[in-house]
Amino acid sequence: MKNLSLIIIIFMASIITACNSDSNVVVVYTSVDQVFSEPVLKAFEKETGIKIKAIYDTEETKSTGVLNRLLAERNNTQCDVFWSGDPVRTIVLKTNDIIQPYNSEMAKGIDAAFKDTDVYWTGFSARARVLIYNKDILSRADVPQSIFDLVKEQYKGNVAIANPLFGTTTFHISAIFNALGDDRAKQFMMDLKANEVIIATSNGDVKKRVMQGQVACGLTDTDDAYEAMKESDNVDIVFLDQDGIGSLIMPNTVNLMKNSPNAENGKKLIDYLLSKETESRLAISCAQMPLHKGVETPQDVTSLDNIKPMSIDYDKTASKLQEIQLYLKNWVENN
Amino acid sequence: MDSIKHINIKNGSNSLLGFNSLLFVIYGLFIIFIGFPIIYTFGTVLFENDLSNSFKLLNNATFSLLFKSLILASSVGIISTFFGTILGFLLYKTNLKFRSFFKIVLLIPLFISPYILAVAWKDFFFFLFGNSSIISSYFGVIMVLSLIFTPLAMLIIGSALSNINSQIEESALMLVSFKKMVFSIMLPLIKPALITSFVLIFIFSISEFSVPAFFGVKVFTTEIFTQFSAFYNHGLAIIQSTLLIAICIILLYAERKYIADAPFLSVGSKGTNNKMYDIINYRKLGQLFLIVWLIISIVLPFIILFAQSFKGGMHSFIKAFNLLLPTFTNSISLAFVAAVISVFIGFIAAYFSIRPVRVYKSFEWVLLLIFAIPSTIYGISLIKFYNQPEFGFIYSTSTIIIIGYVGKYTFISAKLISNAIKQIPNSIDEVSQIQGISIFSRLSKILIPIILPTIFIAFIISFIFSLGELGTTIKLYPPGTEIMPIKVFTIMANAPQALISSMTLIVFSVTLLMISIFYFMLNPFIKKYHSIND
Amino acid sequence: MISLDKINHSYDDKLVLENLCLNIDDKQLTCLLGSSGSGKTTILRLISGLETPLSGSIDIDGNTLAKDGKNIIQASERNIGFIFQDLGLWPHFTVYKNIAFGLMEQKSSDIEMKVMDMLDYFGIKDQMHKYPHQLSGGQKQLVAIARSLILKPKILLMDEPLSNLDVKLKRKILDYIKNLKQKFDLSIIYVTHDHREAFAIADEIVLMNNGKIEESGSVEQIKSSNNEYVKYFLEY
Repeated sequence: MKNLSLIIIIFMASIITACNSDSNVVVVYTSVDQVFSEPVLKAFEKETGIKIKAIYDTEETKSTGVLNRLLAERNNTQCDVFWSGDPVRTIVLKTNDIIQPYNSEMAKGIDAAFKDTDVYWTGFSARARVLIYNKDILSRADVPQSIFDLVKEQYKGNVAIANPLFGTTTFHISAIFNALGDDRAKQFMMDLKANEVIIATSNGDVKKRVMQGQVACGLTDTDDAYEAMKESDNVDIVFLDQDGIGSLIMPNTVNLMKNSPNAENGKKLIDYLLSKETESRLAISCAQMPLHKGVETPQDVTSLDNIKPMSIDYDKTASKLQEIQLYLKNWVENN
Repeated sequence: MDSIKHINIKNGSNSLLGFNSLLFVIYGLFIIFIGFPIIYTFGTVLFENDLSNSFKLLNNATFSLLFKSLILASSVGIISTFFGTILGFLLYKTNLKFRSFFKIVLLIPLFISPYILAVAWKDFFFFLFGNSSIISSYFGVIMVLSLIFTPLAMLIIGSALSNINSQIEESALMLVSFKKMVFSIMLPLIKPALITSFVLIFIFSISEFSVPAFFGVKVFTTEIFTQFSAFYNHGLAIIQSTLLIAICIILLYAERKYIADAPFLSVGSKGTNNKMYDIINYRKLGQLFLIVWLIISIVLPFIILFAQSFKGGMHSFIKAFNLLLPTFTNSISLAFVAAVISVFIGFIAAYFSIRPVRVYKSFEWVLLLIFAIPSTIYGISLIKFYNQPEFGFIYSTSTIIIIGYVGKYTFISAKLISNAIKQIPNSIDEVSQIQGISIFSRLSKILIPIILPTIFIAFIISFIFSLGELGTTIKLYPPGTEIMPIKVFTIMANAPQALISSMTLIVFSVTLLMISIFYFMLNPFIKKYHSIND
Repeated sequence: MISLDKINHSYDDKLVLENLCLNIDDKQLTCLLGSSGSGKTTILRLISGLETPLSGSIDIDGNTLAKDGKNIIQASERNIGFIFQDLGLWPHFTVYKNIAFGLMEQKSSDIEMKVMDMLDYFGIKDQMHKYPHQLSGGQKQLVAIARSLILKPKILLMDEPLSNLDVKLKRKILDYIKNLKQKFDLSIIYVTHDHREAFAIADEIVLMNNGKIEESGSVEQIKSSNNEYVKYFLEY
C-alpha cells in the first residue's frame, strides 16, 4: 500500500509542476487545421522566443468548438489572437463585441477588400471554393464549368456538397444568395435538391467521396482539393464561373481579442501571420493563395491574378448567413 | 442471498462522528467544485435570459426528433442487450474453448473512440459495396453503436449470470430440460441485469453525438449541436439538453424503483458456485458465434486501420508517434489522478448510498445528473463558472481537466463500488463493530481489502474513460496543453488517412499498455487479499 | 443481570417488539426460542448495541446501555461477543488473523500466546494458516466462537449459529457451547427456532411469539406449560 501511495504522490506532484506558467506567451485559438497552422505558430515561437499556447479545433465539431469556447469565455477572455480559416467566424465575434481593432503595419500590401472596414480583422492567405471531380468518371469535356451546371440532369445524384449549415459551405451559399437575390437563389437550392445532390458531412467528406468515386464531383475548398490531388491521381479541380459570377475567395482572418491578456505579444503574432513569409509558407503547405503581391509560391498554386473572383462584401454575406440559416436548416432536414 | 441485510452504520461513536464529518466535507467539496457550476449555468440560462423565444422553438419538429432519438437509443439498447446476453451466456456459463481470451478481447470496442470506429466502418462498407450510403443511415448508426455497446451488456449480464446460485439452476434441472431452465429460470433471474444493461446503453446511445454526426443522421444530439454551433443559441441548446437529462433521470429512476438493488457489474467475492454447462449439441454453433462476433466487431475494423496505417510503409506510423509523443505523460498523469480521485469519491458516495438516510443518497443522484449531461454542455457549464479571474488557478491549469473527468466518471465508480459493498454480508462489518474496532480500521483493513478487485476495476474504467474523453476536454483544456485524444482529433482534420489510422492504433496501444502495467502493479495487492478466490 | 424494560422496536413501521420486559440472569445459558419473525434476533441486536431501541431501556448490572431511543454505551464499548447466523468471518484473513485482529487493533500484549491458547482449546491449531473458505462448516463455527471470545466478553450472544450444520456436528458444537459458560465465565444468550437444541443446552428458556414473550422458565417448566402457543410450538 505504501508503494501505491508513493506512486500517487509522484503523479500528483508531476501534475502540479507541469502547471508552471510563463509570462512571455501568446494565446492563440485557431479554427485552421492543426496540420497547417501549427508549423506556422512554431516558426513564430522560434523566431521571437514568445511561447505559443494554442487551441486547435476538430473536424468532429465542424471547427466551431473554438468559436463557442471564445463566446463562453467572453467574461474573462483567455485568448489573445483568433486565427480563423474564413471571415464568417470572426464576424460572429465582431457582432458579439468581443474583439478589438488592430491595424497591422504588415497588412499594408493587402487589398482593402480583404479587411474589415474598421480593421477589426484582417485577411491573409486565401482559399477558393472549387469543384473537385473524378477523372475516371467525368471526361474533361463533361466537367461542369459553372455552379449552375450542377442542377443539370446529366449530374443527377452525382454531385456532393457539404452540410450548408456549417463552415465554408454556408458562406458560399450566402454569397450566392447575395449575388443572385433571394428568389433566384432559393430556386437554385430547390433545383439542387431536385437533382438529388448528396449532402456530405464536411468538405473533407466531399473530397473523400469524389476520390473514391462515389460521386462524380463536388464543391470543396482549395486546401482539401490540393490534399486530394496529392493523395490520388484520379482527381482534378476547376475554378467555376470564370465567365460568370466568378469563384468565391475566402481569406484566412486574424484578429485581436478584446481584453486580450497579452496584447503586445498578440500584435506581434498578428504581424507575423500577416507577413509575406507566412503567406508563402501556407502556399507551400496547403496551396493557399497569397494576398500580398510578389510572394513566391509553388507552381501548382494558382495565383489570385489568374482567377476571376466573385465580388463580395464579407459583412453583408455574414449577415445574410444569419438570415438564411433557418432556411438552410429546413432545406437540409427536408431532404 | 436474499436475506443479506446491507451494512448500515447507524450508531455514532466518537470516531464515527469524525468520520461522518469527513464524508460530508468530501460531499460538500464535490458539490462546490462540480455540482455548483452546473446549477449555476443551468440556472442563469433558464431563469435569467428571456427564453420565451427559445421555448417557442421547442416545437413539434423538436419532439419528433426526440422521438426518433428515443427509437434509435431503444433499438441499440435492445440489440446490444440481446447479443450481450448470448455472449454473456456463452462466455460465463459454458465451457467453450478460449473463453478467457474472448472475455477480454471482446471488450476492446469499449476502449476506442466511437468516432474512429465509425470512420473505419464507413471505409469498410465502401470497400465492400463501392458505396457507403448503406451505412450512412439510421441503420448504420444503430449497427455501429450496437457493436460498441454489446460488450458492456455482455459484462453486466455475464457477471449476473455467474452470480446465480448454482443450486437454483440444479434444482430446476431436476424437473425440466436445459432449454426450459434457461428461459424460465435463468433469464427471469437476471432480469434486473437485463434492465440495467438496457438503461445504461440507452443513455450512452441517446447522448452519443459523433457517430450520427459522422453518418449525417439527424438525431436529438445533432440538433443540440446545430443550435449550438450553427445558430450560437446556447440558451436553446441548454433547454434541449435539459430535456435529454430529464429523460435519462426518469429512466434511471424507474430502473431504480424496479430493481432496488440490482447487481450492476458486480464483481462480487461472494462464494456462490458458478455452474458451467457443456452445450454439447450447440458447441460448434456457440464457438462459431464467438468467432463471427470477434471478426465483425474487432478484426474487421482493425484490419482496416492497419491497412490504412501501413499502406505507405512505416512512415505515417512514425510521424503519428512523434506527434503524439509529447502528449503521453501529460494525458496519462491527468487520467491517473482523475481516476484515483474518482475512485476515492466514488467510494465515499457508495458508502453514503447504502445508508438509510435520504440526504446521504442524494450524493448518488448528483453524480448521476452530471453523468447524464451531454459533454459539450458540461464543458460549457464549467467554463462559465470557472472562467473568472479568481479561479485562474483552476481554469488556466490542468486542474480544470481533472475536475471535468472526475465529475463525469465518478458515477460509474460509485455504482460499481456500491454494488460490491452490497454484496458483502452485514455481519462482516458488525462483528468488527462489536469488537470495538475503529471505523478507519474497519474500512481500511476489512471493507476495502474485500472489495479491492472492484476498486481496481473502477479505477481502470475511470482511467480508460478519462484517457479517451474528448467532448468536455476540448472545451476545457488550457491553451498549449498537450492531451492525447485532443491531438488525435485536431490533427485528424485534413490529415492523410494513414496518419489518422496510425494515431488511432497508437492511442489504442497506449491504453492497452497502461492497463497491463496497472494490472501487474496492483495484482500482488489483490492476490494477497484474495487468495481466497483462486 | 441483563434487563430489558418496556422495549418497543420496529423496522419500517412494522412493530417487531412490543412493550417487552425481560430479565436474564448472570452465568446462565438462556435460550430465546421462537419461530422466525418472533423478534428474537432483534433482542440480540439491541443488547449488542447494533441497534437502538425506539423506547424503553436496557441495563446490565445496573449500568444503563440504552434509554429513550439513544445508545448510551456504544456497541464497541459493551464488551459483548456476538456470533452471527452467517458467522461473518473475514474472508481475506487467515484463521489466526481472524481471531487475533481484535487484539491487534487494541494493541494488547501477548497476542500470539492468547490466540494460540484459543486455537488450542478449540482444536483448530492445524487450521491457523487457512482462509475461511478452506474450512469445513464445523471448523468455521469454532473459529467464529474463538474470535468472539478472544476479547474476554462477559456476555456471548449467539444467533442460530448451528443452523447450517448436520446433526452430528451440531451435537459436538453444542457440547463445546455448554462448557464455554464455565470455562470463560460467561452469560450466554442463544437464539434458536429448534426446541430440541434449546432443551439440550439451556438453563433457562424464553419462548417468543410475535414480538412478545409467551412463556419463560427452565426446560422442565416449558415442557409442562399449559400455554396454548407453547404446546403448539413444541409439537413441531
